[in-house]
Amino acid sequence: MVDQLPNLGREKEMLDAMGMSSIDDLFADIPEAVRMTEELPLPPPQSEEEIISDARRLLGANVALGDRVNFLGAGLNRNYVPASVFQLVTRGEFLTSYTPYQPEVSQGMLQAMWEFQTLISELVGLEVANLSVYDGSTAAAEALTCAVRVHNRKAEQKDTVYVSELVPPSRRSVIHNYTQGGGIEVKTLHHNSDGTLNLDSLSQAAGSCGIYVEQPNPLGILDGGLTRVKEIIGENTAFVVGVAPVSLGVIEAPGNYNADIVVGEGQALGSPITYGGPLYGIFACTKTYLRQMPGRIVGRSIDVDDKEAFCLTLSTREQHIRRHRATSNICTNETLIALMGAMHMSLLGPEGLEKLAQRNMAACQLAKQKLSEISTIAIPHRNNSHFNEFVVELPGSAAECIAYLDTQGLIGGFDLSAWYPERKNWLLVSFSDQTKATEIELLAAHLAVWSASLVQGVSA
Amino acid sequence: MSHLFEHEGADGKGYSQPDPVAPVDNLQIPSSLVRAKLPRWPRLSEPEMVRHYTWLSTRNFGIDTGFYPLGSCTMKHNPRINEVIAQLPGIADIHPLQPEHQIQGTLAIFHEMQDMLGICAGMDAVTLQPVAGAQGEFTAIRCIQEYFRGRGELGRTKVIVPDSAHGTNPASAAMAGFEIIEIPSREDGRIDLDALRAVVGDDTAAMMITNPSTLGVFEPEIAQAADIVHEAGGQMYYDGANFNAILGRTSPGLMGFDAVHYNLHKTFSQPHGGGGPGSGPIGVKSHLAKFLPGPVVKRRPILAGDQLTSVNKEWWYHWHQPENSIGKVQQWHGNSGAVVRCWAYYRRYGRELKTMSEHAVLNANYLRHKIIEEAEKIGVRHLFADGAPVDVVKHEFTISMAPMKEECGIGAMDIAKGLLDMGYMAPTVYFPLIVPECMMVEPTETESKETLDEFAKKFVEVLQEDPDVLHNAPVTTKVRRVDEVYAARNLTLSYPFDE
Repeated sequence: MVDQLPNLGREKEMLDAMGMSSIDDLFADIPEAVRMTEELPLPPPQSEEEIISDARRLLGANVALGDRVNFLGAGLNRNYVPASVFQLVTRGEFLTSYTPYQPEVSQGMLQAMWEFQTLISELVGLEVANLSVYDGSTAAAEALTCAVRVHNRKAEQKDTVYVSELVPPSRRSVIHNYTQGGGIEVKTLHHNSDGTLNLDSLSQAAGSCGIYVEQPNPLGILDGGLTRVKEIIGENTAFVVGVAPVSLGVIEAPGNYNADIVVGEGQALGSPITYGGPLYGIFACTKTYLRQMPGRIVGRSIDVDDKEAFCLTLSTREQHIRRHRATSNICTNETLIALMGAMHMSLLGPEGLEKLAQRNMAACQLAKQKLSEISTIAIPHRNNSHFNEFVVELPGSAAECIAYLDTQGLIGGFDLSAWYPERKNWLLVSFSDQTKATEIELLAAHLAVWSASLVQGVSA
Repeated sequence: MSHLFEHEGADGKGYSQPDPVAPVDNLQIPSSLVRAKLPRWPRLSEPEMVRHYTWLSTRNFGIDTGFYPLGSCTMKHNPRINEVIAQLPGIADIHPLQPEHQIQGTLAIFHEMQDMLGICAGMDAVTLQPVAGAQGEFTAIRCIQEYFRGRGELGRTKVIVPDSAHGTNPASAAMAGFEIIEIPSREDGRIDLDALRAVVGDDTAAMMITNPSTLGVFEPEIAQAADIVHEAGGQMYYDGANFNAILGRTSPGLMGFDAVHYNLHKTFSQPHGGGGPGSGPIGVKSHLAKFLPGPVVKRRPILAGDQLTSVNKEWWYHWHQPENSIGKVQQWHGNSGAVVRCWAYYRRYGRELKTMSEHAVLNANYLRHKIIEEAEKIGVRHLFADGAPVDVVKHEFTISMAPMKEECGIGAMDIAKGLLDMGYMAPTVYFPLIVPECMMVEPTETESKETLDEFAKKFVEVLQEDPDVLHNAPVTTKVRRVDEVYAARNLTLSYPFDE
């Protein structure tokens, strides 16, 4: 018997009050031809106890990252999120509310999101931020369509944007799906062999509507050349940067090197990885893009007593008012996850963020040093600086190496041939604030053993 | 008033962190990229941070706070066991790029959800990837677009939506590149088949419609509408926002739809979180299955050599890329945390999901009846009109406050603010657009008869209130009526540090 229905057993009483005799009367308006006549072929209802027991059995069969020594990241990092974040976010007033259409009884979430916008603005160095889109990939895609709306009239290369060739196929695919409807052509920006952006290739993008690059890029490389991008592409081409937000504790905010729109995967601030969702997408921009940006925005206002109050603003960009002319179809977003982000950022403070970034970077740098001591593997972008991750070139296939590491109890990293099919031997290894020095030693030892066995095998 | 940014504690305040694993005095950062100035974030200790957010929470209204009859949003109770399950490391602490043998439990749950959703909607294939209803709409429309491209029917450039549709329908179709044809509803709010016949043709790609409609009314001629669209060669798309009304009683498949999105957060109770996250899987008939975003979960009998876990009694679960997949709409596998919560919710009902919908409809009709009864009792029935003149509604109903507006200048927004003073969340106002001064009420199945009785009484009390009082409402809330025009004219979108 289901236990979520307060009026179970009182149906007759309620039907009587309406002058009806059965529940079927309530569905008499459904024509017979489309009625479902059979019972749903599903199992019987379960009690809470049975459900949690099944959940533990099923989810317990998974290998959690915390059960292993883990070097898998590829854009999602297992950072520590303070316990108070998880406790506070279960407050029913936050958890069970919805879009604050009635601001007078929604001041809590509205203010929290206005504060979130401020935290993000400060983090990325831009004037305006919205209160989240779905994730880093849709944030990038929506930034490019936004750039076209703003710049297409004056653009020499109409309906054209450029995207870094390193952007993984999964994100590219999202970008394709979001841009193809507008007839937008997505061209490619090339990179140098050391992984940095090729500035000659970039110059071809001048006069287009916008370009999208990532900092750090998908290979973990911090590219100092990006500070020159805006002078190359010019005022009428949007400079869109995808960031790893934690890195901004030590790396310059893109707004300060003239990025027009900054997007990114917010997850590392506030949220567990949760198999890749829910996450939250960061979206911030200069005022030029404000009226063409997607998603909800909170503004500060006053009530009739002149008291400070908050409400949603610039809603005429949105689908519930503008319908097919809206800047985006987004309605439900990731507010609660953004709230977790705001809580985490509040607890970090400026110096806490800096330290968190340093811890992430130090782990990555220590690993690079340790792995570069192994003669049977190579680090192709070794002279670059990295955040969170870098590429290891193996003497054999990355897939086989990961399988070997799995037998040793390590989640060894990401096989980059899934992104770049010609790179069969490239392993992307990731390190975060949760990585311990002993774990790096362990990875180095296993990689040395595995690669040596391969090299010896080859020479024998 | 407490502002986060007024907490300016000592440097380094916040939660303590372990030291880095290596010295940080020689971090390798290109000189052009060294951050010159840290963000102006606040500095709070944990006690201050906990109090700030707890204080904010007391200024917010949720289902846990009180009755939340926000039409179209299905604000039902969120069982807390779902939150506990979503925190288990087997979902919270797994990565979307882990190999299949490490995540068999999640794949088994996904497979069960794909099957269940397909069964409930009468669809042949399901993807869980879209992360919200609007994204589900967009995804399904993209699949339909590729279906026609694959058939060489490039002239199908138009999507038909009724004027009562959710705003996301035209916005999603336009984002995919379609031209929108809006057709008027009949006087009684129902679909106008003649208007539909007049616009369909060989340029029709799809019709997007929800049933019950946004008026809360079941469209009895839905099968005829589907025939008209299909005969013109178009596809039928079901907006699943109102799915809570019909589960186990009918299905989009039976009504003749080709594709559907589910709002898991509505129908299966993922907490709405102040505006998200949601989850918007889609289901399609077999002819569209090969276009779904990938990958989707399939299973096969166990083979020798599989790295078995306790989940693999008979089946091995694996990812499968549909043959002509449109690709990705979210770069991983969607809002998996929401899917797991909704799995827990579905398990609570199992084959009795029908009872859930029956109670949603029972409550909506009962509340509508009680409001009318109370209004008649004290002679204020003339102040509002039915949004749709029908005997029974489904999970929600609409009323028009236009008569009251005419009589004393009090419209839907004033009534909404009056209800806030009574301790309720207001119904959805001014939607659908085709009902003047509309209030859209959706009680959901998780409200007791007593709550509904009380709300009906209070609603009618508000109607009798002095117009001046209602113009001034609310007065009991944390702030009084907020000036939205001021917010737009004096844009302050972040904390003014220099003020």
